[in-house]
Amino acid sequence: MTLMAAVDASVKVAGLQDLTIHRSVSSIPFAGRYRLIDFALSNIVNADINSVGIFASQPFGSLIDHIGVGKSWDLDRRKEGLFFLPTSHQNGGIATVGSFHDFEEHIQFFEKSRQTHVVVTSSFVVGQLDYKEMLAHHLASGKDITEAVGAGGSLKSYILSRRLMLELIRSYRQKRILSIEDLVNLKKAPYSYGIYEYKGYFAIIDSIQQYFKESLGLLDENNRRLLFLPKEPIYTKVKDEPPTRYLDGSKVSNSMMANGSTILGKVKNSIVSRAVTVGINASLDSCIIMQKCTIEENCELAYVIADKEVYIEKGVKLIGTADRPIVLRKGERVTKEDSQ
Amino acid sequence: MNEKVVAMLLAGGQGSRLKSLTYDIAKPAIPYGGKYRIIDFPLSNCTNSGISTVGVLTQYQPHALHRYIGLGTPWDLDRHQGGVTMLPPYAEIDGIKWYAGTASAIYQNINFLSSCEPDYVLILSGDHIYKMDYEKLVEYHKEKQADVTVSVLEVPWEEASRFGIVNTDEDMNIVEFDEKPEKPKSNLASMGVYVFDWKKLEHYLEEDNSNEESSHDFGKDILPKMLSEQKKMVAYPFKGYWKDVGTVDSLWEANMDLLDPSAGLVLHDPAWRIYSSNPQLPPQVITETGRVQGSMVNEGCVISGTVRHSVIFQNVLVEKEAVVEDSVVMSGTKIGRGAHLNRVIVPPDITIPENYRLLEPAEGITLLTQDLVDSWKESGQQ
Repeated sequence: MTLMAAVDASVKVAGLQDLTIHRSVSSIPFAGRYRLIDFALSNIVNADINSVGIFASQPFGSLIDHIGVGKSWDLDRRKEGLFFLPTSHQNGGIATVGSFHDFEEHIQFFEKSRQTHVVVTSSFVVGQLDYKEMLAHHLASGKDITEAVGAGGSLKSYILSRRLMLELIRSYRQKRILSIEDLVNLKKAPYSYGIYEYKGYFAIIDSIQQYFKESLGLLDENNRRLLFLPKEPIYTKVKDEPPTRYLDGSKVSNSMMANGSTILGKVKNSIVSRAVTVGINASLDSCIIMQKCTIEENCELAYVIADKEVYIEKGVKLIGTADRPIVLRKGERVTKEDSQ
Repeated sequence: MNEKVVAMLLAGGQGSRLKSLTYDIAKPAIPYGGKYRIIDFPLSNCTNSGISTVGVLTQYQPHALHRYIGLGTPWDLDRHQGGVTMLPPYAEIDGIKWYAGTASAIYQNINFLSSCEPDYVLILSGDHIYKMDYEKLVEYHKEKQADVTVSVLEVPWEEASRFGIVNTDEDMNIVEFDEKPEKPKSNLASMGVYVFDWKKLEHYLEEDNSNEESSHDFGKDILPKMLSEQKKMVAYPFKGYWKDVGTVDSLWEANMDLLDPSAGLVLHDPAWRIYSSNPQLPPQVITETGRVQGSMVNEGCVISGTVRHSVIFQNVLVEKEAVVEDSVVMSGTKIGRGAHLNRVIVPPDITIPENYRLLEPAEGITLLTQDLVDSWKESGQQ
């Protein structure tokens, strides 16, 4: 019994708008050096699945740029490998995972495969799902569809046979169901539904509040230990950034720092992505700073999410709260006047 | 460049003064700068200079290098045309031909070079740390209509007698080579970077090969021979950081140079990236108790102790109350609670026990090997 994977990078997630103006949810930066889809893709390749379809809707430029031919995930294969499968949706598809409409548009992906089973997964759940174990569980249970469930919710990953998948794609209109998630939630007859209990770390990123909370949650050593497993690496697109420089006078504590940054100021309880500059006497507390941001000297930032390439001029003070972090959109420039 | 330039990278050196760091890897494969290997510098220079055909000549402990370079993907050298070719010594009808000297290494691969049909051949060393635009060097070579161009660097006069010195006239024509002169007449040192017209190089390599008295070395044999035959030989004045890392002390210094903005080697330069093979590791974490000052830290590290003025490679753990100062810590090393390290290079994958101290602080830099750690344990000092 072998698996193929369908990654839903098209699903609409309403609560992340400020971060999805130029990109899909799947390519939102996370944990300093990753994009959300890296976690689903890494789980997939770590289970030796090498037939992977990514169903994506516009805008997917950023996702294509990130995934390329799948080399970072070892999915640039002669046989099978990565399939980028754009859907006709604009600005996200439906709000549940595994749209049959999207699958129908690329039904050959399922028809031509030699694998027996399909894992359908979303691209906004962060975790270390073991699809090999989940498949074994699915087969042992004899159920038609198995859903991965963790403490407090669904991981929005499903396993079913390829035969059933094709049957559903051909009959979803008549059955009045939109997606796999929809089907599982409604428990439509005549199918049987099973649960695979997942006990590890996971995070569902479906709102700005969740994004903020779960990002900073990685500062907890236990979460990191469960997510970053030496034998099940999380793969991402390689950037050739040098190591991060901490200059004399800088002070960094309880923070996760990606490569290529230059730190002169103070950083605490924060996640700092690649190639960020934090100026002299600037201070960051509980912030998420994405790649290529510049924070000039004497800035004071707390509870701020700065998307890529945000430029914060000297002396800016921005203080949000844990429940309502301030979100700066990609490429935004903030001056001292703006912040007063 | 319309004409074709092929780079030949000499990467067979042992570097015996680097002690255990080169017991099982060649000198160009030595880790440097928190994430690189030395050979990343000349390879990245080739990529950034638009040179896409590169031969890498290996001999001493080649496996790590071959594995590391692979198809050349990190340097964009996995090409349909050209790309990187690993060139270890090989056997032929007459027997195995080891590379006796730098010139013989190139001579043994004369068929490879011919098949590349180059106009110019760039000879490089795999064990020098510098950022250089070879395109400018080749342009200079063409402009001067030289047969060979030798890249030179101004060194401090007091150090000139440690180098191969090149004496020139005011037009940079080379008039004399002076190997490690007691009384240097110039402070222009050869960097071991040469551009040859291919046809000239081919001729001199063949001639040198049939000369039984030759040591088959560019610096000692080929270049002096060309000079004696009044070939057009010019020096190209390179400006910038350049370091030949030959000893534990100089490897340490080259790492410390990265922490000193005035030293002149900038890695944070998107226009001239140094490419390397990147392992997939999570970001580094500085914990609540971690303190990092004046240092460089790579991915995968967890720093809970104090790190001052040091270069920390990937996947290093520095535990609480441990102090690392003026040191280079290579990948996968764990520094136990309360350990103190000062002016050391820690090779990869060493576990430094809790409360470790150097038994006999050396004058220079200590290479903190497993043997030293074991003898500390046996001394019962913990």
